[in-house]
Amino acid sequence: MSVWDDLVGQDEVVAVLREAARAAHAGATAGMTNAWLITGPPGSGRSTAAVAFAAALLCEDLVDPGCGRCEACRSVRAGSSPDVTVVSPAGAYYRVEPMRELVARAAWAPSGGRWQVIVCEDTDRMRGPDLRWAAANVLLKAVEEPTARTVWVLCAPSTSSEDVLPTIRSRCRHVGLRTPSTSAVAELLVRRDGVDPSMATFAARASQGHIGRARRLATDEQARIRRRDVLALPTSIAGVGEAILAAESLVSAAKVEATELSEVRDAAETLALRQAFGMEERRRAPTGAAGALRDLEAEQKRRGTRVQRDALDLALLDLLGFYRDVLVVALGADVELVNAELADAVRRLARTSTPESVLGRVDAVGACRAAIASNVAPLLAVEAMVLALRTG
Amino acid sequence: MSTKGRCAVKIRVERDVLAEAVAWAARSLPHRPPMPALAGLLLVGEPGRVEISAFDFEVSGRVEVAADVVDPGRVLVSGRLLADITRSLPAKPVDLGVEGTKVTLSCGSARFVLATLPLDEYPTLPVMPTSSGSVAGEVFAAAVGQVVVAAGRDDTLPVMTAVRLEFTEDLLTMAATDRYRLAVRELSWNPEQAGLEAAALVPARTLAEVAKSLATTEKVTVALSLGTAGDGIIGFEGAGRRTTTRLLDGEFPKYRSLLPTEASSVARVDTQVLVEAVRRVALVAERNTPARLTFTDGEVRIEARSGDDAAGTESVPGSLEGDDIEIAFNPGYLVDGLTALASPVSRLAFTASGKPALISAAGADDHGSTIGDGQYQYLLMPVRVSV
Ligand SMILES: [Zn+2]
Repeated sequence: MSVWDDLVGQDEVVAVLREAARAAHAGATAGMTNAWLITGPPGSGRSTAAVAFAAALLCEDLVDPGCGRCEACRSVRAGSSPDVTVVSPAGAYYRVEPMRELVARAAWAPSGGRWQVIVCEDTDRMRGPDLRWAAANVLLKAVEEPTARTVWVLCAPSTSSEDVLPTIRSRCRHVGLRTPSTSAVAELLVRRDGVDPSMATFAARASQGHIGRARRLATDEQARIRRRDVLALPTSIAGVGEAILAAESLVSAAKVEATELSEVRDAAETLALRQAFGMEERRRAPTGAAGALRDLEAEQKRRGTRVQRDALDLALLDLLGFYRDVLVVALGADVELVNAELADAVRRLARTSTPESVLGRVDAVGACRAAIASNVAPLLAVEAMVLALRTG
Repeated sequence: MSTKGRCAVKIRVERDVLAEAVAWAARSLPHRPPMPALAGLLLVGEPGRVEISAFDFEVSGRVEVAADVVDPGRVLVSGRLLADITRSLPAKPVDLGVEGTKVTLSCGSARFVLATLPLDEYPTLPVMPTSSGSVAGEVFAAAVGQVVVAAGRDDTLPVMTAVRLEFTEDLLTMAATDRYRLAVRELSWNPEQAGLEAAALVPARTLAEVAKSLATTEKVTVALSLGTAGDGIIGFEGAGRRTTTRLLDGEFPKYRSLLPTEASSVARVDTQVLVEAVRRVALVAERNTPARLTFTDGEVRIEARSGDDAAGTESVPGSLEGDDIEIAFNPGYLVDGLTALASPVSRLAFTASGKPALISAAGADDHGSTIGDGQYQYLLMPVRVSV
C-alpha cells in the first residue's frame, strides 16, 4: 500500500507531491523547493499529506517514491526516522523557545544522505494570544535561508494572513487540499476502519469532510449522542435561563469528549515512557525518569487544553452545519442536507425564521469560534452565542 | 539459540567491564526521548562479545566488550535503569539472561528482573562509514580541545557551533570560529583512502565529548561517509567505542583568507605569566571590561579601566620586534587562546590596533604565520575602546 492511499479525494495534490518527490529522486536537488505550504480545512488530511510527502522524499523506490513498503517509508510512518520531525504546538500556541531548537535542528545534514523533512502542523497557531507572530518570526529566518537538504512542510487551514505569516507564505510552494467528498470519506471508513457502509455515509456527511471526526462519529456511539444533543439546541432554546443551562452543557459535553480523546492517548504515552525508563511500583525510579515523566505530564496538560478547545470547535461546526441546512431549505436550494436525519427540525426552523435571522445566528456561531480561538473563556463565549441563537 | 520461537539470550560478562560499558553508552541516551524506545539500550550478544548501543537521533554510541555469550541474540532494555543497576553490583561476574519479555541480571547474590522493550519500535542505528584514517587518541583530544574553545554557542548560527574538519592525504585540519575568534589546528594523521579530499562540519559539543572519551586510546579511527548518499554522518572509534554524529549542513566561513600573512609587530611573552596577569587585572575590573595591552620592547602593560579610572594595571616582561602597539581584547577570549596554545612562550603578531591579532606558539622554529603540522593558530578580534 503506497503512502498516498490514506489521502482521500486529493488526486491533484497527490500528483504534485508525487511529481516533486520523483524529481527530487532524479537528483534535481537544485530545483527542489525547500519550503512547502499545505493548506486545507481541519480534518482534510494536511498532516497525512505532509508525512506522505516526507516518506516519498526519503523512500528507496527510485521509480515511484512513496512505496509504503521500504524501510524508509516504514520508519517515517512509524515516527522513528531520524530525518523526519513532526511538530505541533504543545498548547494553544507555538512557543518561541522550542521553535528556536527546531530551527537549530534544521541545520543538520540528513543522516540518510537524502533529505531532512520538518513538518509543522497548524501554523495558524504560530500567532500568540497577543496576535503577534513571535514563533513564526523565528521560523522565518530558517525558511528564508534554508539548509540545502532540509525541507520544511508547513500545514495551515488556508493561505490567509490569519493562518500563515505572509512573509513565510511568500517563500513557500503552495498546495491546497479540498474538503474531501462524502463518498470519498465514507469509502475510506469502510476500507480502512471496517465501518458499515450506511453508518460510514452518515458519519462522512455529518462530519462535513473532517476525516478524523467522521471516524469518531462512525465508531463511537457516545460521540453521536453528544452531537445529537448539540443539534437539539437551535430548536429548543427560548428563554434566557434555558440558554445559560444549554451553554453550560455544551461546554461540559466538549470537555467530556476531549477527556475521552485525551485519556487513552495520555495513558498510553505515560505507560510507554514508564516502561522505557523501567519504572515499576515499589522500585526507586531510575535516574532521569522522574524529570522525563514530569515533562510529559506538562505537555499532556497543555495539549489537553487544546484538545478541549478543538472539541468545542467541532460542536460549533456541527451547529453551523445545521444553520446551513436551515438556510438551504429556506432558500429552496437543491443541495443535500448535512443533517438529513434531522430534516423535520430543519424545515420547522426554516418556516419560522427569515434568511436574515438565520444568517445572524451563523454570525453568532462564527463570533463564538473566533472568540475561543483568541483565548476567551469558552463558557463566556458560548453563553453569548446561545443567547443570540434563541428562537423566542 | 531460540527455543520455541522465544528470544533466549545468555551472556556472562565481568562486572567492571559491563558497568563501564553501560555507563559509557548511557551518555548517548536522550534526556527527553523523542520516542520511548530511545530511552532503551540495545544489547546485542554475539559469540565472544556484546555490543551496547544508544541513540538520540543525532548521536549514536556503541561499545563492544568481550563476553561469554552462550546464546546470541538482541534485547532492548531501559537504559537508565540498567546503568543504575550495573553501578551498584558487587564485583562478581554478571549473568544476563532473556526469557520472553524479561531480562534477568544475576551477580553474586544480587538478582534483578527488568522488562524488555519492544525491539520493533527501535530505529535503525546509523551505520559506521568506512574508515577515512586514524590518529593517536591523545593527539586528537589535544587538537580538538584547542579548537573547540573558539566554537560558537549560539544555536541561531548553527554553522558556527561546528568544528570544520578537513581531510587530505597529508593533513587533518580543524577550525572553529564564533566570529570574534578563530582557532585553527593542523596535524598529520594516517589516511587510509588515497587521494582523500573532504570536509565535514561536526557539532563542537559532541566532538569535544568524543575526543575526551577517546583521549587514552592508542588509535582513533575517523570515518566520514563520502559520496551523495549517506554523507550526513561522521564516526569516531577507538578501543571498541564508536560514536556517530550527524553533521551540520551549511557554509563555513572561508577562514584561511582571514589569517594575516604579515605583521608589523611581533611580541613574545611567557604564556603563564601573561595569562595570570590578564586574569588578575580582569578580576578587579567590572564584567566585560576590555583588557588593554600596551606592548613596548621589554614590557607588556595590561590595564582594565572603568570610566576614566584604571581599575587594575600590571606589567609583565616581554620582547617586541617592530612598532609599539596598544590593543584591547575581551580578556576571557584572550585567556582562552593563550591557554589552548599550551606553549611556554606565546607569539602575538599584530598589524594594527584595530585589526585581529594572531596568537601562536613561539618556538625555536617559529617562522611566522604559516600553518604546518602541529601548529595552532588563534586569531582574535580586538575590542574597540575609547581612548
Ligand atoms: Zn518506500
